[in-house]
Amino acid sequence: METKQKIVDTLVNLLKVKPQELKEGVTLQESIGVDSTEMVEVVIAMGKSFGIKIDTKEITKLSTPEDIVKTVESKLNSK
Amino acid sequence: MAKIAVTGIGVVAPSGIGKRQFWANIKFGRPFIKEITRFDASRYPSHIAGQIDDLDKYTHVSERLLKKIDVFSHMALIASEMALQDSGIDIKKEDPNLIGIFLGNAIGGWLYAETELRDLYIEGREGVSPYMASAWFPAAPQGQVSIYYGIKGFSKTVVADRASSLMAIGYACKVLSKNKLNMILSGGMEAPVTPYSLLCCNTYGGLSEDNNHPQSAYRPFDKKRSGFVIAEGSGVMVLENIPRAKERGADIRAVISGYGTTCDGVDRIDPDSKGEELSRAIKMALADAQANINEIGYISLDGLALDIWDNSEIQALKNVFGSRLKDIPLSCPKSAFGNLLGASGAIDAIITILAMENSLLPPTLNLDEPAIKGLDYVIKEARPKEIDKALVISRGRGGINAVLVVEKGDRK
Repeated sequence: METKQKIVDTLVNLLKVKPQELKEGVTLQESIGVDSTEMVEVVIAMGKSFGIKIDTKEITKLSTPEDIVKTVESKLNSK
Repeated sequence: MAKIAVTGIGVVAPSGIGKRQFWANIKFGRPFIKEITRFDASRYPSHIAGQIDDLDKYTHVSERLLKKIDVFSHMALIASEMALQDSGIDIKKEDPNLIGIFLGNAIGGWLYAETELRDLYIEGREGVSPYMASAWFPAAPQGQVSIYYGIKGFSKTVVADRASSLMAIGYACKVLSKNKLNMILSGGMEAPVTPYSLLCCNTYGGLSEDNNHPQSAYRPFDKKRSGFVIAEGSGVMVLENIPRAKERGADIRAVISGYGTTCDGVDRIDPDSKGEELSRAIKMALADAQANINEIGYISLDGLALDIWDNSEIQALKNVFGSRLKDIPLSCPKSAFGNLLGASGAIDAIITILAMENSLLPPTLNLDEPAIKGLDYVIKEARPKEIDKALVISRGRGGINAVLVVEKGDRK
């Protein structure tokens, strides 16, 4: 839960959107019109926020908020 | 070339944002060149400029977009929005495939680039914003405006030093002449008030170093001229073919009827001292407009305030107009706010259109004692005069010449 909230907060601050605009099960591209460069920024921000390294090649897997939570949690668990 | 209607104008300049404020300051010859305050420029030989401080007050774009773009794209977005509003076009109702965008820029978006390069050298590659790749280069504003409005037609960015934006307008008119697009947003943008850009402009050696007198430092065609002063901003106009503009009941602010361009090809920096190729560009523009020298009622000068540039410009005009030149009012109003480099031609064209609309010729600030006498410079204050046809001249380093013929519009 903590991880999810931190991810939402990071996305909200980074992309200047409202939390309610981030919808479960909906890709960030569909909900808030995130483009490919913004996804790179999201990956860098998540890395800094959680002290993990997400390869830019993994971006294609990160389409919904839940995908990001899953990836971040898996990286945290394997630390 | 077919005659092309100018149906909307957007201007972002040190003399004002929005055509009303801008024109009010231009016609009264109010000076806007000041000491640079954006960063400590005190150690640069020239540290004065036409700087815009209140851009954010006029913005219509989101904070989310602003962090991805350089200020030159921001200026182009604001000028484009103003031009579209002025034209009365609802761009959402247009066929996006038939809208183009032609902009001119000389040096790119260095405020963004410098910040990121500093981060690169301090923090390493991970410190660099991913937007750097799409923020700095000269065609970035074209891309950002296209994305913002969903423009999908044939478009281009022209990079030809200070002649960039007048060339962009010329090419846009040529493209519209072929009837392959319905409308084009055209003009230019420049944001050189940054540490590295200012350094490059200083290295070029053409800037006035009269830092203690910023308001009188830029003195085109004056005996005491000592170079130009840089400025930032954007000028954009909406261009359409006349039948379409008339059909939709548009207010035709002006008509562009001729365009000519040539290159001197004699030096890396300087123009041909005899102005022969500029003469040829003027003749091309006049022929394109099917206009003769007796019809030109006003000439907007490039005026770099350097001996070889000003003298060759006057020589070129003498070559074309002969003894009639002394009867044509000449002005270089940019001395009030600075030279917008790649955007200077678009701003000059906009001033010329506003001068025609208001039947009032803008003054050349600081032209107190002409270096070449016997010409009809508009100095000290604006001069009332009806103008039907005018020339706008824009020139870039190494002798890139661009000339437009602008005609009075068909106002409602």
